[in-house]
Formats: sequence, C-alpha cells, structure tokens
Amino acid sequence: MAATALQSATDIDLKIRKRDNRLVDFELTYIENALQAAFDSAHDDSLGHEIFTEVKKPLLEYVLTEIQLLASHNEEIEVEAIQDLVENALMKLGHYKVAKRYIVYRENRSKARSLRGENKAKSSLKMKRADGSMTPIDTHQIKQTLYAAAHELENVSVDAIITELFTSIFNGITEAQIGSAMIMVARSRIEQEHNYSIIASRLLLNQLYTQVMGSTENSPNFVATYISTFKKNIERGVEARRYSSDLLGYDFGQLEAAMKPERDHDFQYLGLQTIFDRYLIHIEDVRIEAPQYFWMRVAMGLALNEDNKEVKAIEFYETLSQFHFVSATPTLFNSGTCHPQLSSCYLSTVEDDLSHIFKVIGDNASLSKWAGGLGNDWTNIRATGAHIDGTNGKSQGVIPFLKIVSDTALAVNQGGKRKGAVCSYMEVWHYDIQEFVDLRKNTGDERRRTHDMHTAAWVPDLFMQRVKENKTWMLFSPDEVPELHHIYSAEFDAKYEYYEKQAEAGNIKLFKEIQAVDLWRKMLSMLFETGHPWITYKDPSNVRSPQGHVGTVHNSNLCTEILLNTSKDETAVCNLGSVNLSKHTKADGLDEQMIKKTVKTAIRMLDNVIDINFYPIPEAKNSNTKHRPIGLGVMGFQEALYIQKMSYESAEAIEFADSSTEMISYYAIEGSSDLAKERSPYSSYEGSKWHQGKLPIDTLADLVAYRGKNIEVDQSTRMDWNTLRAKVKEQGMRNSNVMAIAPTATISNISGCTQSIEPTYRNLYVKSNLSGDFTIVNKFLIDDLKALNIWDDQMIDDLKYYDGSLLEIERIPENVKDIYKTAFEIDIECLVEANSRRQKWIDMGISMNLYIDQPSGKKLNEMYMNTWMKGLKTTYYLRSVAATQIEKSNIDLNKRSLQPRWMKSKSATAEVKTLPNEINDSLEGLNPAANACSIDNPDCESCQ
Amino acid sequence: MSCCDSTPSEQYDLSKPINADDKRLINCKAVDVNQLCPIKYQWAWEHYINGCANHWMPTEVSMQKDIEQWQSDTFSDDERKVILRNLGFFCTGESLVANNIVLAIFKHVTNPEARQYLLRQSFEEAIHSHTFQYVTESLNLDHREVFNMYHEVDSIKGKDDFVMSLTQEVMQEDFKTDTIEGVRAFIKNLVGFYVIMEGIFFYSGFVMILSFHRQNKMVGIGEQFQYILRDETIHLNFGIDLINGIKAENPDVWTDDFRAELSELIKEAVSYEVAYAKDCLPNGVLGLNEGLFKQYVEFVANRRMQRIGLDMVYPNHQNPFPWMSETSDLAKEKNFFETRVTEYQSAGNLEW
Repeated sequence: MAATALQSATDIDLKIRKRDNRLVDFELTYIENALQAAFDSAHDDSLGHEIFTEVKKPLLEYVLTEIQLLASHNEEIEVEAIQDLVENALMKLGHYKVAKRYIVYRENRSKARSLRGENKAKSSLKMKRADGSMTPIDTHQIKQTLYAAAHELENVSVDAIITELFTSIFNGITEAQIGSAMIMVARSRIEQEHNYSIIASRLLLNQLYTQVMGSTENSPNFVATYISTFKKNIERGVEARRYSSDLLGYDFGQLEAAMKPERDHDFQYLGLQTIFDRYLIHIEDVRIEAPQYFWMRVAMGLALNEDNKEVKAIEFYETLSQFHFVSATPTLFNSGTCHPQLSSCYLSTVEDDLSHIFKVIGDNASLSKWAGGLGNDWTNIRATGAHIDGTNGKSQGVIPFLKIVSDTALAVNQGGKRKGAVCSYMEVWHYDIQEFVDLRKNTGDERRRTHDMHTAAWVPDLFMQRVKENKTWMLFSPDEVPELHHIYSAEFDAKYEYYEKQAEAGNIKLFKEIQAVDLWRKMLSMLFETGHPWITYKDPSNVRSPQGHVGTVHNSNLCTEILLNTSKDETAVCNLGSVNLSKHTKADGLDEQMIKKTVKTAIRMLDNVIDINFYPIPEAKNSNTKHRPIGLGVMGFQEALYIQKMSYESAEAIEFADSSTEMISYYAIEGSSDLAKERSPYSSYEGSKWHQGKLPIDTLADLVAYRGKNIEVDQSTRMDWNTLRAKVKEQGMRNSNVMAIAPTATISNISGCTQSIEPTYRNLYVKSNLSGDFTIVNKFLIDDLKALNIWDDQMIDDLKYYDGSLLEIERIPENVKDIYKTAFEIDIECLVEANSRRQKWIDMGISMNLYIDQPSGKKLNEMYMNTWMKGLKTTYYLRSVAATQIEKSNIDLNKRSLQPRWMKSKSATAEVKTLPNEINDSLEGLNPAANACSIDNPDCESCQ
Repeated sequence: MSCCDSTPSEQYDLSKPINADDKRLINCKAVDVNQLCPIKYQWAWEHYINGCANHWMPTEVSMQKDIEQWQSDTFSDDERKVILRNLGFFCTGESLVANNIVLAIFKHVTNPEARQYLLRQSFEEAIHSHTFQYVTESLNLDHREVFNMYHEVDSIKGKDDFVMSLTQEVMQEDFKTDTIEGVRAFIKNLVGFYVIMEGIFFYSGFVMILSFHRQNKMVGIGEQFQYILRDETIHLNFGIDLINGIKAENPDVWTDDFRAELSELIKEAVSYEVAYAKDCLPNGVLGLNEGLFKQYVEFVANRRMQRIGLDMVYPNHQNPFPWMSETSDLAKEKNFFETRVTEYQSAGNLEW
C-alpha cells in the first residue's frame, strides 16, 4: 500500500551500486535527491521548489512502492535503476515536462561523465549510422521517444515496449531499423489494446515529419514549420518533376490558412502506414508530403480548372481531410502530378482479330502503368477448333491469349505501387467457357492457367432460367453467331434459340450441347475453390443501363461495379470515389444536410477528373469525354450500423441500406444535373434513359417487364423523386452514370472505416496487403465490452481462440452477439436483400462479396440463384474459410484442448492428461519472468 | 488384448468382412489391412480430408517481389545468411520426413485410414520439397550449395543426423513392433519425426522466415511458409494422435522410464535446435537473437510434450514473439489484388 510505503522506507533492505562500483545502503534521500534534481532541471518551466513540495508525497510513495517490489527480487540495484524509476514515476503521474527535462538532464550528465572518461557504457550495443560508422545506442533518446508517443494514453505499458525492443535489437542495427523496430513492437500489441496503434501512428508521424520538414512534433514551432514547409515542398516537387507546375499557380496564402496539421492525428495506424508506403510523394525515397500536404495536393489537382480555384481546392480539402468523401486510389496517387491518370477503371472489348487482340494487350500495359484496373471482354474471340480463313487452319481459342494477359498484368505493375490487375470476361455460351472457368485452378497444365488474372462469367437471364428448369444449354463459337454478344433481353433469347435450332439442323459447325446445371455447378465449384469466376448478369446490366441508346454493355470491370458500353472505338473509363457513411451517421440516423453537402462536392470532384485526366490511350479519351460517367459509392456502412447499434441482419439495417442509398442517389443525380446546368449536359445525353425521364428507380420496371414477373424487392420511396425527375428533364445530366459501389479496399484503410457496404470480416483479424499484415480489432465491440466490464485478458484470449467470432463466448450477452455477427455468420439472405435494395437506386452496379463458411453446393446454388432473382447486376468474390489453420502460437492452446478446435472426431489425444501450467511454474524453482510481470501483484502497475 | 500380442495370424480368417473394432494402429493381425471401410479411426480420416481440402501448389505464389528484393541491397549479409540457412535446412528436411514415412513407418502402421493420411502426408512433403526447389530456382540460388548444406553446415547436420538415426533403427531388416522394445522404438521414431522434426526443428525456421514477412520482406517465401505451416499443423496433430493412439492400445509400454527417455530425447533435440539458431544468428537480426530462440524453442517443446502426455521440462515461458499473432495466428482478410488468398478449399469437398 502506498500509505505505508513512506513509513516503511527505512525497512527496505537493499544495496545500491553506485557508478564507481561502491555498494551503499539504500536511503530515502536518494529518491528525494533524484526527484529534486528532476524538478530542478525543469526550473525554466517555472516548476520550482514550491511545486515540488506539493507533489513530493505521491511521487515518493509511488517510487518507494516500486522499490519495495524490486527489493523483494534483488539484493542490490544500480543507481541507474533508481533514476529509471524516478523517470517512470514522473511519466505515470503526469509530470511530462519534468520527465522530459529529467531525461535530458540525465543524458547531459552521462555525456559529461563520458567526457571525463568515467562512463562504463551501460549498453554495449552499437548502432550503425548512415555513413557506416558505429555509435553506442542512445537508450535515453529511445525511451524519450516512446514516452512521448504514449503521452496521455491509457492501458499501455511503455516499459513492456522498451523491454521487448531492447531484447530484439542487435549490435550493428541501423537507426532506421530502430525506428521501424519501435513501431513493430507497438504494433504487435494492438490486439491487446487499441491505444498501441496510436503509439505506432505517432512514431510513424514523427519519422515522416523528419523526412518532410526535418523536425518532429516535439520541436519548437512545429505548426509554423509544418505550414511554411508546404509551399517549399511543392516547389521542390515541381522541380523534381513529381508535381505539375500548374500547382504553382495557386495563392498559397489562402491554402496555408486552411491547412489543419492536427488532422494528421485523425489517421489510424493502418491508414498512415498505407499512405506512407505508397501515396505520399517522395524524391528518392525521402517523402516530401505530410498527410495534410497530401490531401491539399489532391484537392489542388482536382480544382485546377475551376474559376475560383483556391476556394474550390479548400472545399475539396475539407471533404477529403475529414474523410467525408475520399477519391479512389489513382486520383490520390496522381492528382496534381505530371501524369494525372486519375481514373480507377477501364473496360474494353476485344475484337476477333489478331492485331486487335495484341492492341488490347498493349493497351492493358499502358493503362496498368498509370494505376488503372482493367476489365477485358473476350467473348468475341472465335473458339478452339473454329476455322481461320486466312491460314485455313484451326483456332486455338481464347485461352492461350489469356495466359499472355495474365503475364502482362504481372510484368506491368501499377507504376511500381500496386500489382497490375485485370479481369477477363466471357459470356457463358462461348464454346471455350468450360476451360475459361478452370483458368484459376492450381492443378493442370500451367500454360493454360492464369494465376495473376481474374475471371468473370457474363451470364444472360436465359441461362439462369435453363438452370432453374434443368434444361440444356448450347455453346457456340462467336464467329458463327456474331450478333449474340451484342444483343440482350428478348432479342437475345429469340436469337439464341434460333441458333440452337440451326445447330440441331446441322447448319452450325462448332457447337456443343450440355446440361445448363452442369456448367452452373462447375462455375460455383470453381468459385468455391479459387474465388473465380465472378458471376455477373448481362440482362439486368443492360436493361437498366441509361446508355442503351448508344451501345451495349459487354462486360464489367475489375471489381464488378462498373457497367458501361464498350466498342472498338470506345474503351470505357470510370473514376470513382466513396462517401464515408460512418462520418455522416449519428445514433439516430443519417445527417441529411451533411450528406447533401458532401455528395454535391464529391460529384464536382469526380466530374472534374474527366477534363483533367491524362488518358493513356485515345479510345479512353474518346469514350470518357463523350459520356462522362462517374461512380460515386459508399464505405463505412458497417460502422454506420454500429453507431446506431443495429445488427446487419435486422430489418432496420436493411431499411437503412435502402434509405441511405436512396438519399445518396438523390443528391448525386441532383448534383450531376446541377452541374449540367452550370457546365452543359454530356454529349450523348439525348436519347438516354435520363433524357426519357427514367431515373434508376424507374428502370427497375423495365427489368420487371422483360422478366415477365416482379422482382422480389421492396419498391417504396422516401424522397421527392418527382421534383428531381422534373429537374433532370429541364437541366439534363452532366454524367451518363453517377453511381457505383466500389470495394474501397485501400481507401477505407486510409480513412479508417469499414470497407464499402461489407459486413465486418471478423472482430479480430489480420488485414494483409502490400504494406504487410495489420491486426484489426473491432473498436466498437471493445467499447461495448468495456462498458459491460467484460473486456479483460480472458476475453482477448477467447477472441483469438475463436478467430474473432463471439458466438461461443458465453460471457457475451445475446444482443451484443447480434450486433457483432461477422460476415460468415450473418445470414447471407440478408446481405443479398440489403444489396438488392441498394441496387434499385444505382445506375451501375455494386461490388458485392458473398461468404460461405461450409462446403455446401446446395447453399452456393441458393445463394447465387437468389442474387439473380433479386435483380442484382453483379457479384464479386466468394469468400470462404480454410479447412484448417496454422497452430496458434500466442495463446495457451493446450489449456483448452489438446486436439485442434476444428477436429470433429475425438482421438486418444483428447484423453491425455496434462499438468496445469501453474504447477509447472513451481518446478525446479524456475521462473524466468521474475522481473517481468507478476499479474497477481495488485501493486504492480505495469499492465494496469 | 495386449499390445505385443504375437499370436500367429493363421488363426484369423482374413477373408471375412471385417469388424471395425478389430482394427489396430500397429500389429493388426485380426483383420485385413486393405479395407478402409468401415472406418474405426475417424480422426485419421478427418486429417486426411482436411489435408486434401488444403491442397495448394508452390507455383501459385508469385516470387516477383522476392526476386526484386533479393537482387537489391535490401538485405544485410546476416539476413541473407538466415534466409539461406533456412532454405538449406528445409530443402532436405522435407525429404527426410517423406523418406521416414515411406521407407520406415508406413509398413508398420497397420491401419488403412491412418495409412491413407500417411500417403497424403507424403505427397504434401513432396509439395514442400517442390516449394524449396521453386524458391531456390526463382531466386537463382546455387542448388548445389543449398541442397548440400545438410552435409556441410554442422548445425543442420546435427539436427538431421539426430533424426536419421531414428529412421535407421526402424528400417533395420529385422525390425518388428511386436515386442515392447519394438513398440517403444517405433514410438521413439514417431516422436523424433512428428514431435521433434516437424514439431520443433521446423518451427524456429518458420519464425525466422516469418520475421521477414512481418517486415514485409520476402513475402513470396513468407506466403509459401504460411501454406507449409498450415500443412505442418495437421502433420503434427496427426502424429500426436497416432502416438497417443498407440500408447492407448499398448499401455504397458508407457512406463516412467520410457517417458523419461523420451523427455531426454526431446531435451537433446532442443539443444540441437538452440545451436542451430545460434549458428543462423551469430550477430542477431532485427527482432531475432539466440536468447529469444532458446526461449521460443523451449516454449514450443513444452507445448509438444504436454500433448503426448509428458511433463513439461522447461520453465513456463511465454512465446517471446508476440508478433506471431499477426503473421500466423489470426484469420486473414487478404486484399485480392495485392496478395494471394490462401483460405480456399478444394471443391472436391462440395456436396450438392
């Protein structure tokens, strides 16, 4: 007890080893002197003697308690250890400034002693400087950095970080390695306490600031330096040809006044590390952008053509830097640079012609280089065995070309920042479809496998009907059925059936009749085994397209949310960005005014991209300037549900999916229409569905008409659509398409929100991406568990053991379990239902993942059938769980069971008896953790 | 019946339909060893099914980034050494395990469901050997150097000689499991290969390689190792189930003396492993040093011993590498465009 600590100070039986190696008895005055020295060293902060006397008692008590603890394990301690204790006490009790001065004071004393030749180096470890010379590792500096990074954070133990850090560094380590080691050690504890990720962020920020402006947050006048370096670095960047010289045309005074350096702390660690690694512009690996420079640079790049560009840039900056709306990765990478390729997606169709095949492969390379993702339509290519007129030979079909596409994607990564990414599409009546479906298998002829390319099947309604009715399906080579790929709905159905009859009559050379259900099962099996081919539906994508008057949608894109016309002359382009729902949601629902404001700005930013964009190929420019499609999406949906304490499975959540999409859609269409008034409608507007007065919600009726039956989706509306319809009719639209929900894989990490409309993957899991592995803990859950007083070591252990699922953890109340169900636990019907509600309002598509936790073909069939019947246009990945896992190394598995958790059958191992660990602790008197932490000791604060 | 019952098999009619109850893991004389069904040891079958569902091939993983890093100045000499030593150990280590299964233990395991798993496991060992061939090929390493390390590098040779001596014993022409000594020698072999080789010797190598993965270096090899580690987790669990199963069917072999003998065997192995860590890390590299490895190896050994019913002999360490949660413990959500997703199962498991 603290109260007795002072009284019993004289009883402490401890020897102090002084620096000159003399051994003396411990005395209370040592502590008093050390504390006095600490406060004295801080005299210029007006923390003089008076104040010391005021806080002396608690400090002394604190230190004495610790010393008693030490004395119980040791007979003697070094005088340095006493000083360490004092330093810790100052930090723990909140005397940060004094502690800081004290550290400096000790350091100076140490230097002085060292100059006098007295210092026997405490740590023999040396560090390698950039120039190759060696210098002793400055442990005080490291501690100081860590204490500063942990300032005012609860439930973190700097001592534990220091201990782990010092056991893992080695002689000859470089300064940079020490920096990253500090972050790595902090990171490894994120699963225990979220505040460790704040420590990691702060450490990373200071490393970044050192690169960008040569100072850290602890330096004097930091904010002023931050603001004044901005312009300097833009100039440096222009000179180094990283930035466009157009950026110099801004009035920096206005921009500097608007910049808010404190927002750097709004990033979570994962977001910060992500932009640090790949988004912040650097010159020869030295970054010249701090996070706020980055947002401002993106905003400036997007406002270049605006009349009042400073005002607009600041409006864009405000939207981005608060994570209200975040542009897609290519925009963040390239805005304001010399090559502003800002678009996310390119869609092209390949003609049945050798030179066009290689042209498209070449286009893929150029587009990849500038960070675009690709969707290629390969349905037009004649099939294996089809006749080639020119050579009188037989075609080898599509597959060998796709191998080249895959290799090209690997060869050309996205400017060295992302892996090149391409998805190839094929309509399911193509003669080569069966082999196409196998492309991602991990067995078979490697020459016919494409491990680095994604695949998707383009599925007409007729095929789905045949599956449902268990009928046959015929495969053709497109050179003999040339129209099929370019027509849809009733026209397609009639023509397809006509060709079937022609084949039966012997008028078609290459065809094959199969059972529709066999092909369907093969596709689903491969989806289960490899995640591919994604299933995308041709008819709803075309029937509901606003641009049916000027072409056909032949395929979707890399992430299955973009649905635009393609042709030999037009490579479709789409630039994307997403509204962060979690920033617009309160406990009682969406903030409509805020949504309206964000969406209006977002539409403007997206539209601006089209004119600023650098188009790597002319077909893209042609298509984009004609139709001007943009794709506004959402992210942070799951968090918005957490904020409202809704379970993803609840009726309210599905209603919220519906109403939030309706609201965003309403303001997006309004925003585009207002821009049409300001800037003129897009050039192919005439004749479009918009022009016909049909908004996305109205095109649903067209799909119902074609299918001849209602689509099972609620069709009520909440907004004043009549007014908007009239407005569109009067003003036109600036953009042929306005909405598409993208996966937001990386920008959601940057923004620190959940992905897109996805449910939580697990409540504790690791996100793997190009920057490495990151532990993600659901902080909403932790807050709720803390409120229930059940967040403790056992709970952390349980979460790990059950892989972030709550279902089997008995202590958690049912209502909490409902809210925090994970993607694999939520009834998949609910996910499909939520998306079919969203799809009503969206003119393009939704990147929608499906989840399955058990190997059941029946379930797969129901799930996918349902996506089609509910009117969805596309689906994306199928996520499943591995059959078994790697043995967990950081929890006491044996205590739970000697057989792994996934084993259903008992073996003799289940009967094996083990001694509990506690008994083992007493064996042979071995306890290596003697001076680490003893959890049973209530006085020890290191982990409390 | 007693474990070492050497009743001649002539008294059984092996041509009759079998009773699952008569099946035995070793020394099965009462029933035909070719009949998989009816199954008695469901756990063995389950391990087999899980192994099949996890099927993968090394060529699925792109080595592009590793090649770039290996050819650049990313690594210090010490770091290169760690990587090379581990490739050197594993490239032949996997073959030793495969050989032990096929040449030594397979014929003595007299149960078809357990054999089914052994066949699956041997194939997985081949895939693992293939992986090291693929990695060394991709990085353009000198095959003759890497594959010969187990002769030339003392610390690798020490480990390999240790387990190979156990193979030798079981491979003797006249070796039989129908005596107490025979069963014990057989269990010793299983402990040597499953618990020690795959359960201890492999693990410090895994940590060393994953520590690079943790720093986002050599991610291709890191991913290969994550696949291997997933397979090894089943190998180890099968081995432990087999050992405990044989113990249960032959209780008289499990004496205090024999347990002490096995403990000594594991202790000896631990000392080889610590020496190996020391040899790989003469100066330490970031996050790794000899001291931590001693703690780690002892931690792993303790865990293994508990599972086969031995008392732990080392202090109750915690895993000194808390970061392994991030690299291997927790479920991963991978960004499909940036890394390869390892969670898929083979569709052979689907029921329609």
